[in-house]
Amino acid sequence: MSLLAFAPPRSGDFTAALRIRLRHAALGLLVPLTLVLVWALASAQGWLPEQILPAPSFVWQNLCDMAASGELAQHAGISAIRVAAGFAVGAGLGLLLGIAIGLSRPVEDYVRPLFTAVAQVPTIGWIPLLMLFLGIGETLKIVVIAKAAFFPMVVNTAAGIRNIPVSYKEVAAVLRLTRWQSLRRLVLPGALPPIFTGVRYSLTKAWTALVAVELLASAEGLGYLLVWSRQMFWLDTMLAAMLIIGLVGYVMDAMLAAAETRLQAWRIDA
Amino acid sequence: MIAARSSWRIILAALLAAFALAVPSLARAEPLTIRIGFASIGVDNRPFAGGDTLAVAHAEGYVQRALQADPDVKVEWYFFKGAGPAVNEAIANGQLDFALQGDLPSIIGRASGLKTKILAATGAHAPTYLAVAEGSSIKGVKDLRGRKVSIFRGTNNHLAVVKILAANGLTERDLQVLNMDTATTNAALASRDIEAAFGNFPLISLAEQKKAAIVYSTKGDDRGLERQCALLVTEAFERAHPDLVAKVVKALVEAARWSSDETNRDALIAVWAKSGTPASVFRYDLADQDLRYRNAPIVDPFFVEQYRVQAKQAKAFGLIRRDVDVTGWFEPRYVDQAVRELGLERYWERFGPDGKPLGS
Amino acid sequence: MSRTTATQIRRGLTLPVLLLVVWEVASHAGLVDPRFLPPLERLAGTAWREATEGRLLGDLAASLARDLVGFAIGTVLGLGFGTLLGVSRGAERLLGPIFHAAKQVAVLAWIPIISVWFGFAETAKIVFVALAAFIPVALNTHEGVRSASVQLVEVGRALRFSRWQIVRRIFLPSAAPAILTGVHLALIYAWLATVAAEYFMTVGPGIGGLIIAGRERFQMDLVMLGVVILGCVGFALNQGAAAVEARVLRWRGA
Repeated sequence: MSLLAFAPPRSGDFTAALRIRLRHAALGLLVPLTLVLVWALASAQGWLPEQILPAPSFVWQNLCDMAASGELAQHAGISAIRVAAGFAVGAGLGLLLGIAIGLSRPVEDYVRPLFTAVAQVPTIGWIPLLMLFLGIGETLKIVVIAKAAFFPMVVNTAAGIRNIPVSYKEVAAVLRLTRWQSLRRLVLPGALPPIFTGVRYSLTKAWTALVAVELLASAEGLGYLLVWSRQMFWLDTMLAAMLIIGLVGYVMDAMLAAAETRLQAWRIDA
Repeated sequence: MIAARSSWRIILAALLAAFALAVPSLARAEPLTIRIGFASIGVDNRPFAGGDTLAVAHAEGYVQRALQADPDVKVEWYFFKGAGPAVNEAIANGQLDFALQGDLPSIIGRASGLKTKILAATGAHAPTYLAVAEGSSIKGVKDLRGRKVSIFRGTNNHLAVVKILAANGLTERDLQVLNMDTATTNAALASRDIEAAFGNFPLISLAEQKKAAIVYSTKGDDRGLERQCALLVTEAFERAHPDLVAKVVKALVEAARWSSDETNRDALIAVWAKSGTPASVFRYDLADQDLRYRNAPIVDPFFVEQYRVQAKQAKAFGLIRRDVDVTGWFEPRYVDQAVRELGLERYWERFGPDGKPLGS
Repeated sequence: MSRTTATQIRRGLTLPVLLLVVWEVASHAGLVDPRFLPPLERLAGTAWREATEGRLLGDLAASLARDLVGFAIGTVLGLGFGTLLGVSRGAERLLGPIFHAAKQVAVLAWIPIISVWFGFAETAKIVFVALAAFIPVALNTHEGVRSASVQLVEVGRALRFSRWQIVRRIFLPSAAPAILTGVHLALIYAWLATVAAEYFMTVGPGIGGLIIAGRERFQMDLVMLGVVILGCVGFALNQGAAAVEARVLRWRGA
């Protein structure tokens, strides 16, 4: 399988495929490029007041300035640390609870209703309440992000384990595996793809929660950059911050999607 | 193929129609509505402002009375929790005709290309305070290094704060600055989520409840740290309705005249207290200040010079990215005319750019 | 391991009841500051007072109206856009990439620019809610319509359906499950966006405003009341959507 995948295609096919891909990429870029051109033209001609949309060159210049001064790296770094910490805590706990629910009906019976009730309130709804409890320090941010990452992880892990084919369990019984062995060798590998989907959702949710909590209470980070530039009416910085938030979200999701595809392929291979 | 093309069109038309619904219609309704915005809001979002003369013109009905002869003209008042920055957004959207704004936000607006005219002063020489959580070890501005301090960014306190910090050898980067609106600041200081806050009179309210202590005030410090507020009008509205601008400004001048009278000090404070801030707070805020000095509506060379200097400083401190030219921004014609009509030419003293009284 | 409904209910209630008892005891015994954890009866009292004398019902109505109007606009636009991308390869190649890039911007990051573009009136909030609803609907409609089977389209061609008929009779029914998933998600996102709009945009009546006001005044009971209402509305919307989904899909299957 892997040999086939890596075998070099015949060159004719290759260039044809490349040409098609390039054409698709060009088509996809057509609209954004046209938009940017129209945007630049509109700004230059003064059709669009700059207090509604500053010229793209301003936004670009601003992005370069912030990158050069290290400001961008500082804000992005802080946001990244917060997401990483919150995600690690939330997804880790979510994984544990998900496994417990997936393996044991009584645990599910005890936890599910409370879990469902808490999950009904959007993360953003919890923030003011948590602010009263925890203040506005770093703890608040980690807890909010962890909460956001927790729920999809639990749901996907539990479902993944629950949906493992009965045949696996029969195999475990035949092989006389201990509970721990069957968990490690059969259940977890079997549930890996849905768990990974959970990871992907969790990270997306964590990223959104980060923006929310940084918008509400923060002294640094990408969300703060957004609030701050809004306050100062620096629309170029605001658009630049949006761009970066989108870009980080995109890269994160693309990386996880690629990893997910790999994982599926590996599983089929195995 | 024809069918394909028409289905395209149907979908496109549906999209456009739905989008058109989502976009605000900029057309104004037939009977003219004058939309006036305040860069502040009362306690618990009460629709009243405090601390300036336009608040008096609003709460005491001066503007309504001035427009009595125009039954087709309606007045709508808006109060912005987001203060000056939110007012800028509203002006940019064409949702306001007049606005009361502090110096820095209006300078930021001008730097971003908002087309406005400054008509009159609505409260000059206002102080800025530094409050700390009760029992805090912070005794003055110099102690703020590394501390969590809230500043309502982009408001007219912001520039004053930057200057106060600079005078103490600090910059914003030396502090952990949190951007918070007035209500959030009060809550955060009371719950000790922040260690200190810069702001105006609402902080005194907190000090009176023993939830914070005022450790610094610009009162008695450098006069260059004082904040100014002004009434602005959009250029478009001024061009279209100079008669209405004259009436609104005249109402403001009358309110300013009443607010400048020392015999009305208690009454003035009572009007401002409609915003929910206790009267005692305004009494403190106004203490040792001549009402005629603080509430003068006139646009004198000192007032213009203040904006010119503030614009330069805002640029120097990196709060705006472009130079703001104040020439042509001020339109004192209306306030001068109102002052003349009311026979108040000698009531408010005019000051020169250097802050010294102009000889009459 | 018998697992009757009764056991399930008993087990399900154990934790919530335990939690409430601990809460009540703790706040009465003075183990926690009642400012942080007001006793339950005070919470109930606040709820009653706000509902009968306060502006709770007005706030709720305002939030729901905002939510549903934004949801409706966003869903209609999302259906149109998703279908366009699904039926037309050209449109997919032209608009797909920019849509997929734009959807990566965490939806809350749109709030500042929407405020600048649409100002302080209700419009800005509705535009934001509509945007939040638009994305999942467009995404799922696109997926659903695109994956509608090619053979079915062939059948349609054989029956000399017009393109519009193909869309209506073939694509939409076979894409229905995906579209409904999108609409269901949109309902959840729209509610989240409603709360976010009330937090970050100008003040006005609404449950989000109620919560923020409660936090500013340090009224824990008010904040908790708001959070409970958020949850109840979210739950109701969710259940409603699930019921509609099930019904529509059953009708389709019939």
